[in-house]
Amino acid sequence: MEHFVKDGNTIIDSKYVWSKRILIFFIIVLLIRLWDLQIMRGSEMRTLSEQNRIRVKKIVAPRGVIYDRNGKILAETRPSFNIYIIPEDIKDFNQTVDGLAQLMNMERDEIIEKLKAASNMPPSFPVKIKSDVTMDDVAKVEAHRVYLPGVQIQIEPKRYYNYGKTFAHLIGYVSEISDEELKKKEYKNYFPGDFIGRYGLERSYESYLRGIDGEKRVEVDAMGREIRTLDVKEPIPGNNLYLNVDLEVQEVIDKALENKRGGSVVIDTKTGGVIALVSRPAFDPNKFTSGITKEEWQKIALDTRHPLQNRVIQGRYPPGSTFKILLALKGLEEGLINEKTSFLCRGGMPYGGRVFKCWKKGGHGAVSIHRAIVESCDVFFYNLGLKLGVDKIHEMADIIGLGRKTGIDLPGEKDGLVPSTQWKQRVYKTPWYEGETLSVAIGQGAVWLTPIQLVQLASIVANDGVNYKPKIVKKIVSPEGKTIKTFEPELNANLKFKKDTLRIVKDSMKGVVNEGSGTAYSSRIQHVSMSGKTGTAQSVGERGKNLGDHAWFIAFAPSEDPSIAISVLVEYGGHGSSAAAPVAKVVTETMFKEKKEIKEAKLNGYR
Amino acid sequence: MGIDKRKVYHLDWYLIFNGLAIFLIGIVNLISATSSFYTSSYSYMIKQLVAFFIGIGLIVFTLHYDYRVIVRQSKWLYLSGLFLVVLVLIIGLIAGGAKRWISIFGINIQPSEFMKPILVLYLAKLLHEKKKQNVPLGIKDIMFPIGAVLLPVILIIKQPDLGTGIIIILTSGCILWFVGLKKSTYAVLGIISVISSFALWHFVMKPYQKMRILSFINIDADPSGFGYHAKQAMIAVGSGKFFGKGFMNGTQHKLQFIPEHHTDFIFTVFGEEWGFFGSIILFLLFASFIWRCIKIAQSANDEMGSIVAFGVASIIFLQFAINVMMTIHLSPVVGIPLPFISYGGSSLLSILGSIGLLLNINMRRYMF
Repeated sequence: MEHFVKDGNTIIDSKYVWSKRILIFFIIVLLIRLWDLQIMRGSEMRTLSEQNRIRVKKIVAPRGVIYDRNGKILAETRPSFNIYIIPEDIKDFNQTVDGLAQLMNMERDEIIEKLKAASNMPPSFPVKIKSDVTMDDVAKVEAHRVYLPGVQIQIEPKRYYNYGKTFAHLIGYVSEISDEELKKKEYKNYFPGDFIGRYGLERSYESYLRGIDGEKRVEVDAMGREIRTLDVKEPIPGNNLYLNVDLEVQEVIDKALENKRGGSVVIDTKTGGVIALVSRPAFDPNKFTSGITKEEWQKIALDTRHPLQNRVIQGRYPPGSTFKILLALKGLEEGLINEKTSFLCRGGMPYGGRVFKCWKKGGHGAVSIHRAIVESCDVFFYNLGLKLGVDKIHEMADIIGLGRKTGIDLPGEKDGLVPSTQWKQRVYKTPWYEGETLSVAIGQGAVWLTPIQLVQLASIVANDGVNYKPKIVKKIVSPEGKTIKTFEPELNANLKFKKDTLRIVKDSMKGVVNEGSGTAYSSRIQHVSMSGKTGTAQSVGERGKNLGDHAWFIAFAPSEDPSIAISVLVEYGGHGSSAAAPVAKVVTETMFKEKKEIKEAKLNGYR
Repeated sequence: MGIDKRKVYHLDWYLIFNGLAIFLIGIVNLISATSSFYTSSYSYMIKQLVAFFIGIGLIVFTLHYDYRVIVRQSKWLYLSGLFLVVLVLIIGLIAGGAKRWISIFGINIQPSEFMKPILVLYLAKLLHEKKKQNVPLGIKDIMFPIGAVLLPVILIIKQPDLGTGIIIILTSGCILWFVGLKKSTYAVLGIISVISSFALWHFVMKPYQKMRILSFINIDADPSGFGYHAKQAMIAVGSGKFFGKGFMNGTQHKLQFIPEHHTDFIFTVFGEEWGFFGSIILFLLFASFIWRCIKIAQSANDEMGSIVAFGVASIIFLQFAINVMMTIHLSPVVGIPLPFISYGGSSLLSILGSIGLLLNINMRRYMF
């Protein structure tokens, strides 16, 4: 039939065969290509599509909270907004980088540098560009999100120090881990953008405070927006620290040392627990947690007053007259002197061709041990020093812990020096001259001690020959409230002093504050008695400039049944009596204000 | 002119059911393409079904007229199509940087889509008039037809709608080849097309259109733009593996990695969700459909019918092949819809109208 209706056009007829061949050819080509994509490379393509949609997001674990002895929060974590870039999600590198730089008021290079630092991480790893941005910045970025593919805002916990610089040297601070550190083996558990304890407790208890980050697998769309959460591994917060520290005492000292250079430490004589530890000048630790700028860092690091130095554990000073307590203990103990032994003070003592002066030009006349301590007579101790010899002094110092690190739970503690003949021979290859002993006897010369060491001297007297290793942290508690570790008192020295020795020294130290002629009489307290010893140490000065003497005061209270020991140092503060003792006074007043209240109530009742 | 029972009996039911099968696959696929993980969306599907029923109405209506009458009157269709294309340039709606649509009574139509079958009809008329028995056409014979094609094509490319322009040119080329040209004429046309390609590249094509072609050659040349999309489309299809991720489970399009995934890139949705297995079935349905179109051309009553049927077959084949090839990185990305499957009323109506012509030709293959 068909032949009949067709025109028999041979030109067209040949085309049907060819068009069918072409059709079949293309179908085969398409199927081969699909076979290649879907079967040969199907798994690879499936993986690529999974990588497209699934992002693993880090959930930063909050760091452990730090509490004082009364449960007040000293350091915690608060939510903050951080800006990230996920390199893989960037569509147009320049658009994203320039756009973000403009919005955040950052330099383009600054962003590129951060991206480079994380270049060895997978491209889906979010790179932190800016920490702790303001709500305004968050709003700006959110509004421009469509033009900033790859940019992400995440809410993350940020370390916050509730009392800022008050605890700067004690708690320390955390800051972002550096690229150099990340390359080291010891930081293999850290990732770019992580925070690490740098200073103070944050550093010494880093392994406890740091939690374990969790992660969340989320499905994102092409713009990087989260569509749904696939699964979550919750973060484990860090462990909490409970300190022996008393916030109130710390604040009182902080205020008392305001605008001064120096340090003070208060310890519990019965346990060694550190009640307060302040070094001044200080810095604001909160500045470090939101990424300190170069300028700010330079300002702190190059400050000639050295705010980053913890003077309590790193500052070494001649102890001055506070050292006399050590000589008194050893002299009485050795039987070289007794309560009645007296020396004549004429305002100085000639020895070896020169005159060693007493601070009191007119002299003290005949002085026994009690007055020698109360009025801080130098001549008495020159004599005692000669009787003892430098090696006995050294021996005693070493037992108590002076001149060595105390082992406090803070990083960077320095040792000190109490000389001996052996030391001089070893270091200077020359014999010891007796004349040098005279200087040592009044805490000058080659005697270098830190405030934390000197508080051990006050403590051993207060506690009848026993002192403990100073400890800031009382216990570590897990986030669930389980106590992980309790720090029991650790004995440092246990000396069996003669009863008389302790009685005489304690009496004398009480006299320093409470007798009219005592060097710290101006710092006496009505309702509670404090015992102490002032010290005024000649300083070397700075760059040839004599800036005055360092003022020292070591104390314990209450005198009758001591429970705290204090040491105060004020650099270039002048006299211990006027510059340092008042700090101990306010500490004692604060610690024992309850007693004051009881006393006042009693008085009121009698009236 | 009416339709009698005999003619209804001669309707090509093979073609109808084959087309219907592809269309139903398209509808199911469209539901997934336009839904998110959380909410199913049926609004696109409903619009597509409305266009479908209008198209059925169009087929029924045109079947009343002998295709020869339609071809003879195609000058008027051509002129009104041309008018609409010009109108687009004047009052067209701008969307996505292009003027492709005009709004008539609140319905957006894309005249360039209708220009495809209209030009097939008009070319059939013009070429049939020149054609003598068994004599290939010379350059003089095809001057006017080529001009008639290029005029709307230039206007359409100006919109810019490069995809439709390319389809019209290629379809016209297929028709000329089908009718048969002198060897010298092929040579002249070849030279002209090479020269005009250069001219097109330098003077007409916009930078983004050039970028598409460059990123086809080197997919990483433009990793954020077209290259990115081409890559994501490939990943979508490839990740379907043998059996696909399953209906509504395609992540690539649902998470917006694929642009235009309900129109030009709709095959990525199908490939991702139905895999190699589904794709074989779809391709075989298309192959069988186009085969049937060629068959209708072959068995047409006269040369005019053959040319029209072959033109329609060319349109469907070219759109199918190029659309699928661009999603699997075998061709540059151009805006060409996949017949029956892509969302778009004008495209669907244009296809259905063309099928109406095929049915018309097939129905009247025994009439003189």
